[in-house]
Amino acid sequence: MTTTPMTAIETEDRRQYRTTRRRDFAVDLSMALATILAALVIGFLVMLATGNDPIRAYEAMLTGPLDRSFRVGRWLEDATTLTLLGLSVAIPFRARQISLGAESQVYAGALAAATVSIFLPLPPVVAVVVPMAAAAAAGAGMGLVPGTMKARLGANEIVATLMLNAIVVRVYDYLVNGPLKEPGSNAVHSENIRPDSALTPLSDWFGIPLGRANIGLGVMLLTAVALWLLITRTPLGYRIRMTGANPDFAAYGGIRVPRVIEWSFVIGGAVAGLAGAHLVQGVYGRLEPGLAGSLAFEGIVVALLARNNPLVVVVAGLFYSYLRAGGDIMEQQTDVGTEIVVVIQAVIVLLVTAQALPNLLKRRIARRQVGVR
Amino acid sequence: MSSVLDVVLSSAFLAAVLRIATPYLLAAFGGLVAERAGISNIALDGQMLSAACTGALVAGYSGSVALGAVSGVAMATLLGLLLAALRLELGADAIIAGIGLNLLASGGTAYAVYSLLDDKGGTSGLRSGSLPTVTLPGIENIPVAGDVLSGQNMITWLAFLAAPFVAWLFYRTRFGFHLRAVGEMPDAAESVGIAVRRVQYTGLALSGALAGLAGVFLSMGYVSFFVRDMTAGRGFIALAAVFLGGLRPWGVFLAALGFGAAEALAVQLGTLDVPPQLVSTIPYVMTLVALALYAWRRKRRGGAVPTAASL
Repeated sequence: MTTTPMTAIETEDRRQYRTTRRRDFAVDLSMALATILAALVIGFLVMLATGNDPIRAYEAMLTGPLDRSFRVGRWLEDATTLTLLGLSVAIPFRARQISLGAESQVYAGALAAATVSIFLPLPPVVAVVVPMAAAAAAGAGMGLVPGTMKARLGANEIVATLMLNAIVVRVYDYLVNGPLKEPGSNAVHSENIRPDSALTPLSDWFGIPLGRANIGLGVMLLTAVALWLLITRTPLGYRIRMTGANPDFAAYGGIRVPRVIEWSFVIGGAVAGLAGAHLVQGVYGRLEPGLAGSLAFEGIVVALLARNNPLVVVVAGLFYSYLRAGGDIMEQQTDVGTEIVVVIQAVIVLLVTAQALPNLLKRRIARRQVGVR
Repeated sequence: MSSVLDVVLSSAFLAAVLRIATPYLLAAFGGLVAERAGISNIALDGQMLSAACTGALVAGYSGSVALGAVSGVAMATLLGLLLAALRLELGADAIIAGIGLNLLASGGTAYAVYSLLDDKGGTSGLRSGSLPTVTLPGIENIPVAGDVLSGQNMITWLAFLAAPFVAWLFYRTRFGFHLRAVGEMPDAAESVGIAVRRVQYTGLALSGALAGLAGVFLSMGYVSFFVRDMTAGRGFIALAAVFLGGLRPWGVFLAALGFGAAEALAVQLGTLDVPPQLVSTIPYVMTLVALALYAWRRKRRGGAVPTAASL
């Protein structure tokens, strides 16, 4: 902040800028809510058409996760990983880079975190931080490969990230089944990490059973705020936004677009790496086959739903995990398969991407208003 | 090493390559047609999956394998048209809409199977049968070719016929010429009177149908039932083959066949002392390197090669 007092016009400008910001945020949020509502209605109709009782199913889905404290824990633990993965794709998406590489990055992160926290004896606290840093570095490295290929050579980032996913998932599978498998164990998983490296469970703090939810939740929230500040308040964030809005114009304005693209991939990769660290150090305590499941792709949905705004990603991630947790409970209590959640999620993606839809509605409303007159 | 050679040169291995390459070939041609029409079809995987599921379910309930196969292909065609409609009518991003359609297929098939059969895994409880194999009279008696070619599923034959078909379609027909023009530069195509939208809708329908054939092969040829998420990412690999093949029919053919051969090799090497997971990464590493080389070459030449819709 400068020490010179602001003129009246400057203060006015600033206020106007803030109102616009706030309005944008509100618009993002209400659009997301409308989309969700529409998708839930479609899910309702699908359940009705397949002969199920949608009201009972939704009741179980929407109230179930808050029923017991360990269910809340299950929800928060899932939301932590999912939101981190959503944040990880939101950054390249902001630069208009369609990175589908979160899967390779989360597995690379998990491998790095596990290797450090199993084999490297470290003093407390450091034992938590170093594996996470290693995971972030591994994820960033995985992001750098397609990022550089795209930025310097113009190679299609979708294919590059998909190929990298296929490679890393197979290498991970090999390591968990081979070199990193716990010796003498029949089940396929690695050794447990050292207790010092574990992320503290939230149950220890609150004194109620919260399952495997851990302080990774705090890490996730801090990451979201940091990324929001990065995007909205730093020169790099400005460059990322400009590159995403119009790369030619950005380059014309003196922004080194290739470097910005690389950075967006590296930052996204580091965040996905953290998600891998959370899975290892907070959730499973070791490497398991297929550790991340379909979370990497669902992270994309979360980012889209939030229109790549890091703070909204948190809300979307919490909401989406809530649906996931609720879907499992719904399946236990009613006969409706939890897969309906995936259908609802797909409808959300399709609605979000149909950009002409809101305009179409607006135009229709406008036309009707004209007609009334 | 000699044991590896023995495996690779055996006729059983070659037959396996043809079988395993079938879904890659068909899906890759589907991806190619869409890509050249100017709309990236990243929903190949979902189209395969829904075709596989629809095929097995319809065949199981109606008792007619042919009806099942046709319904499966029709379902995938509809999804291709839906992708085109989302892109052309609602201004959706083709990639994101494709991701959405993949999710819809994954969730929808699993939900349908669970609702109908009360089974989480798939339709193995339903007797749906598989499509007939083709035996060419006379060819069985030829030493190696007989073992490799005879008894292959009819869709495998279709997959290999798809290569000359697509090449003919692209370079010898009016529609193919229009399709390539639309994909290259829609505005220019429109200005000379080509019905851009109609060409793109047709292209995406054909793309979906080819992916549908690939899916039907999985649930009614490769095995005779549907398993949840049975495509196992094959649609994405096929998409990579499209790019690796330089967006040209015979290039795509070789790339898809290469993926099939590598996977067959990985399966075979599993019996030897080589980690199969590492062997199976080879085609993807190759693709990554080829992608970089291809991009580098294009950058130096300055756009002499066909450009992809998603670049």
